[in-house]
Amino acid sequence: MRSLFEDKKTVAVLAIPPVAIMLFAIMAPLLVSLYFSFMKWSGFGAIKFIGLRNYVELLTADKVFVRSLLNAVALMLVTIFLQNPVAFAVAATLTRLGEKSSRLLRTIYFIPATLSLVVVTKLWVNIFNPTYGILNKILKLAGMEDIAIAWLSDTRTALWSVIWIMIWQGFGWALLFYYSGLMTLPKEIEEAARVDGANRMQLYTKIVIPYLLPVIQAVIVIDVVSSLKQMEIIYLSTEGGPGFYTQFIAVYLYQKAFKYSEYGYGNAISVVFVLIAVALTIAIQRAFKKMSDE
Amino acid sequence: MKTNESAIASRAFGRAVMWIFLAVLAAAQIFPLLWVFSYSLQKSGDLFGPEFFKLPVDPQWNNYFLAWTNGRIPLYLANTLLIVIPSVTLSTVLSFCLAYACSRMTWKLQPLVWFIITVGLTIPIHTTLLPNFIWYRFFGLIDTRLGLVISYVAFSLSFNTIIFAGLLSGIPRSMEESAFIDGASYAAILPKIIAPMAATGFATVGVQTFLNHWNEFIMANTYISTELKRTLPFSIIRFQGQYSSQYAIQFACMALVALPPLALYFIFNRWILAGVAAGAVKG
Repeated sequence: MRSLFEDKKTVAVLAIPPVAIMLFAIMAPLLVSLYFSFMKWSGFGAIKFIGLRNYVELLTADKVFVRSLLNAVALMLVTIFLQNPVAFAVAATLTRLGEKSSRLLRTIYFIPATLSLVVVTKLWVNIFNPTYGILNKILKLAGMEDIAIAWLSDTRTALWSVIWIMIWQGFGWALLFYYSGLMTLPKEIEEAARVDGANRMQLYTKIVIPYLLPVIQAVIVIDVVSSLKQMEIIYLSTEGGPGFYTQFIAVYLYQKAFKYSEYGYGNAISVVFVLIAVALTIAIQRAFKKMSDE
Repeated sequence: MKTNESAIASRAFGRAVMWIFLAVLAAAQIFPLLWVFSYSLQKSGDLFGPEFFKLPVDPQWNNYFLAWTNGRIPLYLANTLLIVIPSVTLSTVLSFCLAYACSRMTWKLQPLVWFIITVGLTIPIHTTLLPNFIWYRFFGLIDTRLGLVISYVAFSLSFNTIIFAGLLSGIPRSMEESAFIDGASYAAILPKIIAPMAATGFATVGVQTFLNHWNEFIMANTYISTELKRTLPFSIIRFQGQYSSQYAIQFACMALVALPPLALYFIFNRWILAGVAAGAVKG
């Protein structure tokens, strides 16, 4: 019977088409990217080999690149230390409510997560609009007209405004992850803790959070990777501006290639971007593994 | 007695705070949508009134007609369906097959393929945008629907395969063994015996993939240059240029584009939750 699960022909038929598509559309382009990262090319005309010069410039002299990484870090911190705790607290509260109100609230909280990023971004661009947007109108009604601002083009608010759009859209996902995790918590564990006289605070710090550690870790990995991957919201709102205050890596590499015609340099950013994303994922997973082994 | 009363009072206060917090959060999540919907039924000029929210007294349903035509919604909708139907079907079927081979069969390259699948999960779509411009052009895939379908399928395979693999690995091996003794081949076992056992997986993967591909913008923006081949999100982008002062019509257009995914979400709510639960439990 072993041969049934080792039938080479069946494996080939099942696995070759999907693997071929992934190699063709994900892995091969990365090699093309690697090739062009050693070139100087505007997209037209002669392609010139310049060795590691793109990488040297990117890693030693590119302020915009550094800023893009710092913005991703800012987003990561806001997501992990603000959005996540709120999502966790709300998820924990929802598990204590009646089924009807819990389901209604869950449905509402998740609505933004189902919308396309184009709708989400255009929605907030309108809300942030200095003349007809809601925010400035509320300030005006409250008599604080003088602090009304151009949210997305003022250097003091632009980054926090786009970060707000990102965590607004991602909130439903974080909530859903935590809620699903909490639902798998066996009821007996909770009851046993209560019989032992644990209060609610102890119940969460000693029992629930340790139990949910794998889920929390998974959400953090997703948060870190998706903080790096932000593109559409920036591309459709600030385009990285004012200056490069709200720049993110993906938008930057895109603009380098298609707006400033530095195709080779854009590809060098792509290669570094992949390395950062993969290395960071592996590093976090290792760190968490070490934590849970101890 | 007094301490008891104050304990009850403080608990009531705690509950009130909790409900206010939940309500404020709910408002933050849906008020922006209500705002857009409300002004999509008014005249563009109404947006400049002093109040920050106003209900439509005299609904301008014509805005939706103009959004439908100026936003080129029929054309873009047809294009989206021509891409999304094959991409969702292919992605679902192929990831099921791959998950089967990876989670239930033993072969030499299995660890390497599983590695590719997990790496595929972390590689940002955006890093393939530039090279594909050259790579796809070489194969004549730039500015074609087929090119987009291939990209959409490729980037959804990893996640979908992992979801299916989680479901399939729990099925006892005797399922195939007894069917095989009865004379059935893999061509019959997979669709007739294994696939029905992974029905929740098909629902979850299908709905998720549909939502993702329906909403996808950046690859469509990069690979498709012919106006006539563009997809649904571009109907909103159209209002940036020549129609940029027609706010109400732009809002109506946003409502129209957001509607199908919202409806789908309300219908298949359960399956989306099931998928997340599967992902969360596995970590």
